[in-house]
Amino acid sequence: MKLGFRNKIYLGFFSLLLIQGLVIFFWASQVMKISLLEEIKNRGISIGINLSARMVEPMLAMDFLRMKVLVDETVELGDDIFYTFVLDRDDTPLIHTFKEGFPIALKTANHVLDNQKVSVQLIDTGDQLIYDYAVPVFINDSRLGTLRLGLFQTRAEKAVNKILISAIITIISAIFIAGIVGTLLLNPVTKSIKKLYGSSEQALRGNLDVRTAPMLKKNCWDLMQCHQKNCPAYKNYHHRCWYMAGTLCPTCVEGEYAKKIDSCRQCQVYKRFSGDEIQSLAESFDAMILSLKGNLSDLKAAESILNEQKTLLQIILDAIPDFISLQDHEGRYISVNRAFYKMLNKNKEEIIGKVNYDLFSRVQAELYNKEDKTVLETRIPLVKENRVAGQKGIKWLHVVKIPVLETEDRVRGLVCSGRDITELKIVQEQLTQAQKMESVGRLAAGVAHEINTPLGIILGYAQLLLEDVEKDGQIYKDVAIIAKQTKLCSKIVADLLNFSRSTQRNITQFNINDAIKEVLSMIEHTFSLNHVIVKHEYDKNPLLMRGDKEKLKQVFINLLNNAFDAIEENGSIIVNTGTGDTQDEIKISISDTGCGISKDNIRNIFEPFYTTKGPDQGTGLGLSVTFGIIKEHNGTIKAYSPPLSGNKKNGGTQFIVELPSSLNTKKGERNG
Amino acid sequence: MKYVWMILLCFSLFPGCGEDGSAIKVDLTKKELVILKEEPDVITYAYLPQYSHTVSHTRHHSLIQYLRKETGLNIKQIFPDTFDEHMKMVGRKKIDISFSNPFIYVKIAKRYGANAFARIVEMNGKESFRGQIISRMDNASIQTLSDCRNKSWIAVDSTSAGGYLYPLGHFFDHGITKKDFQEIAFAPGPGGKQEKVVLSVYAGKYDIGTIREGTLDVVADKINVKNIKIISMTDPYPGWVYAARKNLDKKIVEKIQQALEKLDFNHKQHREILEAANFIKVITSSDSDFDEVRKLADKVGMNLEE
Repeated sequence: MKLGFRNKIYLGFFSLLLIQGLVIFFWASQVMKISLLEEIKNRGISIGINLSARMVEPMLAMDFLRMKVLVDETVELGDDIFYTFVLDRDDTPLIHTFKEGFPIALKTANHVLDNQKVSVQLIDTGDQLIYDYAVPVFINDSRLGTLRLGLFQTRAEKAVNKILISAIITIISAIFIAGIVGTLLLNPVTKSIKKLYGSSEQALRGNLDVRTAPMLKKNCWDLMQCHQKNCPAYKNYHHRCWYMAGTLCPTCVEGEYAKKIDSCRQCQVYKRFSGDEIQSLAESFDAMILSLKGNLSDLKAAESILNEQKTLLQIILDAIPDFISLQDHEGRYISVNRAFYKMLNKNKEEIIGKVNYDLFSRVQAELYNKEDKTVLETRIPLVKENRVAGQKGIKWLHVVKIPVLETEDRVRGLVCSGRDITELKIVQEQLTQAQKMESVGRLAAGVAHEINTPLGIILGYAQLLLEDVEKDGQIYKDVAIIAKQTKLCSKIVADLLNFSRSTQRNITQFNINDAIKEVLSMIEHTFSLNHVIVKHEYDKNPLLMRGDKEKLKQVFINLLNNAFDAIEENGSIIVNTGTGDTQDEIKISISDTGCGISKDNIRNIFEPFYTTKGPDQGTGLGLSVTFGIIKEHNGTIKAYSPPLSGNKKNGGTQFIVELPSSLNTKKGERNG
Repeated sequence: MKYVWMILLCFSLFPGCGEDGSAIKVDLTKKELVILKEEPDVITYAYLPQYSHTVSHTRHHSLIQYLRKETGLNIKQIFPDTFDEHMKMVGRKKIDISFSNPFIYVKIAKRYGANAFARIVEMNGKESFRGQIISRMDNASIQTLSDCRNKSWIAVDSTSAGGYLYPLGHFFDHGITKKDFQEIAFAPGPGGKQEKVVLSVYAGKYDIGTIREGTLDVVADKINVKNIKIISMTDPYPGWVYAARKNLDKKIVEKIQQALEKLDFNHKQHREILEAANFIKVITSSDSDFDEVRKLADKVGMNLEE
């Protein structure tokens, strides 16, 4: 069991007193015993010598009565004197105090020589231990005899023991009294320490509203006759003013305890009210807790802000489509954003703490490590584009690696950010292609303009020839082929000119349904010859819009022709018109039951000169022109193969055109 | 554990409470009755106890040794406590050789038939000695003998020669009788009576005291004798006397007398003996030498039989 501070103090205190008491007892008792026994011995010697001197005269006079009186008086001096007797020169007993005869053996038990003052001999009678004193009786130089005196040693020891018992009682009493006094003195100390311990534990548990020091009874405002209610020390019964910052006393130095305490020590408030070490400890503890509470509050606020910032930063980082990572100087990943770990198909936790070798193939990891090392060593940012072949196809990444400097001399790590520029790359390629096509278009337009006239002449002459020759003859057939192919060329030239040349726009408001009806009236008959039926379902309401009606009719002709070409024979084309998701949009759907378009082809169908038709069937410009006209009218066109609606197993293609309704425009115009 | 060692170390610094020395075993059960055996053929020698036994022993111890050696007799000094006892012991033959003052002698001669055979010569060379009347030096009321009237007087003993009889005769000769004193006291016994008189006067208990010549020298180591003044000196009377008890063998008396008279102050060893005994010579004497004393006693009205 561990002893508490109080018990330790008590134990130490009592042990010290006990040891001190025992030491004093053993030392003092020994000294006392020796002294007392010596005193007893000396007493015996003194009595013996005295009696010896007094015995001279009666011995000379042989006055036995006086001798008897002297020895009897001596024995009566104290309980400790056992016997007294006198021997003559021949050791014959002259007188003694034994009532029933003289013990013979005593005569020879102790001898004293003439030149000795006294002889002391311890005698054991069986019952008692006796100090026997032999003192010679001299008259001048003549020895008259020997005086013998017996003192009980046991009684002497009893006297010694009495003193020892007194000493023990005194020591125990002293320990007891010291214990009581010590307890009275120690109690406040241990109580304060216990309270301090309790407060400390409370503080450790997070409760900082603790009060260790007792409520202050003497206060600075009373002594200084102060009435400054806005002073933090005013009417504060729990904290001393010198522990508090911002006190308003004129003698106070501004600042916290460390700054002001030297000044406060000179103040009469401190001099009069500062307590002992224990009280000061309790008060300073309270002040410390108060300060800690304030600091913790600040810290919590800062932590909260920091956490918020951290969350925000992470949100931002995660929201950024670019992947971002932070590595330490050893290449270990410290932080990554969502895009990064999504790219690697891993959790964030699976990445943090890992290195390139853990995340990438050996070849890639070696490459990245080399790059990282170069960046860290040279401290020059690296910018590059990576072509990455993955399961989802080829991706292009724009990667930037930037060294992060901790100090001027030390690099902490590097930040790597990457952006998926696959689409950009595609657009770039498309742009390049478009630019190329634009050049080709212009070139083709120029060429078409130049060859349009000769083609007209060829067609004219061919038609003249057809009139001149017999219709059944071979020549007629050949010329007819020339005329047909020339017409085809003229159409190609006309398409090229339409594609490259922005013709005059004739903007009017019209009903889309009307435009579609006009187109269908032209082509329905031709389609029906190949058993291609056009089904139409118009919106009940007129779908008005503002635009170039002729161009939009061209759009519908192109789409219907493509559908007819895809069906070839025995199929149907379904035309639906209506509003889009909102009333502001007009939605036109043209779907067929044709062969459909493969996924690879459907991406390129709006590119110029891209065609799946045979060399003599299409120029590859129809859908490009269509796309251009729709774009021109702020609309969209989307192709679905198979169609979104209907039986997908049957194949086919659906084009959905969405155009802005003039209803909104009208409102805008009205508003505008 | 270390605390236990510390405590043991503390205790080890202090030796045990054992007793020094070893006790010898004595059986107290065997007992005997004490019976003193009288020595045969002992010649007892007693010095009248005018002084303490110690002084008596000191003065005569060497002399006894000398006599034992010189006479071949088993002479032994005994110490009667009082003058009266001394006299009675002569009568009971407990004292063979008595060394006493002339007054005692005349009494024992009369009462018990003692016979003088030698007397001493004082240290001053005189064969006689005197008594002295003393008082305190600061007692201004006593300057002369006549000033002693109506004063308290302490004398040595009623049987003392120099300490009572001679001064009493001296007062008588000067017309002062016992009745003229406020009080006449005698020194309490036993022994040391001469010294007690001086000490009583010195203490102021009595106005005057009477002592034999030479006593002040004896007490010089006890008091400052300058504080004592001698008022008057008596006439000289025969000195101290050696007497044999009645019926003591004459040969023994002769041997002792011869040995005593043989003492020569000029002889180194004898001189030490004589100086200790406080006389310089022993001369032959007879009973008639003390008739003066008998007359004096008669004059002052003393009865030798009492």
